[in-house]
Amino acid sequence: MSEHMEALVMIRDQGRRLLEQAATPERQRALLDQPGAFDRDLWDQVVELGWPGAGLAEAQGGLGLGWSAVAELHQLLGARAASLPLLQTCLAVDLLVQADADQARHSEALAAGAAIACVSLFGPGEPGLPERPLATLTDGLLSGSSTAVAFAAVADIALVYAWDSGAGSPVWVVLETSATGVARSTPNVIDNARAMAVLTFENAHCSVLSIKDPVAAARRLAAAAAVITAFEQIGGMETCLHDACDYARERRVFAQPIGAFQAIKHGLADIYADLEVARGCAIDALAKLENASPQLPAFAAAARIGATAAYEHAARENIQFHGGIGVTWESTEHFYFRRSRSLALEWGSLPYWRELLVDNAAMLTEGY
Amino acid sequence: MDFNDSPEEAAFRQEVKTWLAENAQAYREPLPLGPGDIRIAEMGREWQKIKARGGYAAISWPTEAGGRGATPIEEVIFAEEENRYHVPVGPFVGIGVGLAVPTIRAHGTPEQIEQFAHPTLMGDILWCQLFSEPAAGSDLAAVRTRAQRDGDDWVVNGQKVWTSWAHTADWGILLARTDPEQVKHKGLTFFLLDMRTPGIDVRPIRSISGESEFNEVFLTDVRIPDRCRLGEVGAGWGVAMTTLMNERANSTGESLLLPDVSSLVRLARERGLAEKNQRELAALYAREQGLKYFQARQLTALSRGEQLGPMSVISKLVFANVLQDGSAMGLDMLGLEAAFLATEDHRVTRFQYGYQWAAALRIAGGADEILKNQIAERELGLPGEIRADKGVPFSQLPVGR
Repeated sequence: MSEHMEALVMIRDQGRRLLEQAATPERQRALLDQPGAFDRDLWDQVVELGWPGAGLAEAQGGLGLGWSAVAELHQLLGARAASLPLLQTCLAVDLLVQADADQARHSEALAAGAAIACVSLFGPGEPGLPERPLATLTDGLLSGSSTAVAFAAVADIALVYAWDSGAGSPVWVVLETSATGVARSTPNVIDNARAMAVLTFENAHCSVLSIKDPVAAARRLAAAAAVITAFEQIGGMETCLHDACDYARERRVFAQPIGAFQAIKHGLADIYADLEVARGCAIDALAKLENASPQLPAFAAAARIGATAAYEHAARENIQFHGGIGVTWESTEHFYFRRSRSLALEWGSLPYWRELLVDNAAMLTEGY
Repeated sequence: MDFNDSPEEAAFRQEVKTWLAENAQAYREPLPLGPGDIRIAEMGREWQKIKARGGYAAISWPTEAGGRGATPIEEVIFAEEENRYHVPVGPFVGIGVGLAVPTIRAHGTPEQIEQFAHPTLMGDILWCQLFSEPAAGSDLAAVRTRAQRDGDDWVVNGQKVWTSWAHTADWGILLARTDPEQVKHKGLTFFLLDMRTPGIDVRPIRSISGESEFNEVFLTDVRIPDRCRLGEVGAGWGVAMTTLMNERANSTGESLLLPDVSSLVRLARERGLAEKNQRELAALYAREQGLKYFQARQLTALSRGEQLGPMSVISKLVFANVLQDGSAMGLDMLGLEAAFLATEDHRVTRFQYGYQWAAALRIAGGADEILKNQIAERELGLPGEIRADKGVPFSQLPVGR
């Protein structure tokens, strides 16, 4: 086993054990009950294990395990419905290193887990990348607002896709959430464990990231987010399938386990097939992300569509197969039902990705 | 998958391309045959001979069995390249090469392997599979066709059905009941049947596509010498399992005859329907995409000699349904012109063929419902079906339609 593989296995196994102990249903229910909630204890513990820097290059203070490590960790998170700003850390550093060197202090803090990032990219009222983002940059000051952004409730640093009113084009800016003129509100959302907040800017000081093509960077960031999120969705799907099968073996009606009825068996077999197809899409998209392949957009879109549709289906059916107990607050099924819906909305919803896939599908077969 | 080829695989692909350019020239254009034209079987035999002479008839078989000793991946590379031509490949040859011979190699005597393996590879013997019966499809172990011992022979009486290419086959692999007093899986024996034997009546069944690729086969006092029994008396079910495993691994694949999602999207664009149907098109793309690379993983497992497990089951289940959904959508986009069956338009016939073939594929080699039961029971640990036949001698089982 290579050194990298060993490090990856270690971080993953430690992570799995930690999540089994720490991400309990009681904890999750408490988080869901409180808008803007964040499991700070859990975050501090994964920081100890080196998660924030796992995927980052060694030059950025990371372990250099690449996107595949981030994907594996997100699959673990998804399986326990745990919610941590790991992807956001990676995306933020990815953007910052494309920009000028004076952002290095942010990158280092993020890689060490000393700071938390959030990324405001998609806007309200449309499924895809906004042509004209809501937040506006005028004379170096940011005004306007974001829509609900995951982990904005706890982020120290916000990366914001904004509208540069001077240039008349989108721009990426970074600012500290503690800066004067930045306010945040934490609305009640379908999945309060996502630490969501709306950021409001009023002539807030920010730094413009010197990125040559901010729109292209936004697309790439969304694609990376889609691929990693697909693994989080797969983790969630696996738990839904596992829980539903467990229940189907134990719960008896008409003197038989409900899993003996084909209506249930075949429904579960369908989820299994969808899960494996989604996994196929995600693994191949991850390879394109790792290789910075020009084919990434189409592969990421296929991964996004495959995982989002399949997770939603699995989460709904998991409740269905549990019957009435599945719709109680006491059950754990709603954790995944909420998470699947929240992840379907974060990072652009399906109409955006469908258009991207259908328009770029030739990329899927390039090289044949 | 070109971009995943290792250097050795890329070299093999190049070698294959060169060989095909020299040997497959006659198949540049679609064959001058309508669907179901039985002349394709003889053309298939000829193409098999050409491949055998080139050393490509049994790429992943061991060299001592007359194969090339290469990997299953190379087998697939050859198939991918071969499928760029309109070569006459199909079950008329594939049943022998892909099902009969692996079964004979696994369970046969040295004499049987000698008699059948090489000639089949060379295209000298075409095979059919005499398994299903009117009352034994998904419940294959319920076959009623009876084989009774008479001296050195077995005398066979019964009826087989859905027997693809029985009308062009030289030999058949046959599953028959030799002991009805045993429970149903235990009273079966596997035979190799010379299709020229007296008492065999092959009657084509016209399928929904109008073609007659499969048949009813009536067996009346058909005599099979005992040396043509494959495996022990009463061990037929285990032998048939080898055949079925090979069948599933071979039952999906791209073909110039079948539409893919790309061809559907091209059609949608032409008709200005891509945007309106984005939801369905994208879903089909994602399923096809996941499947494609899922199949690549399956090949990797094969090349490592690992069991396929549920992968081959999911492949067929998803492939047949994507094909049916996508073909139906293509026909919808073509509109009423797609109602003309004898059209010259190759694209229209592809969607028509895909639509009708998918209906058969969802049943053949394990119906969707059986495959879902397998996934549920073997992978997800759910309870098995209620088995009213458990422990009951076959002769005591109730008979229905």
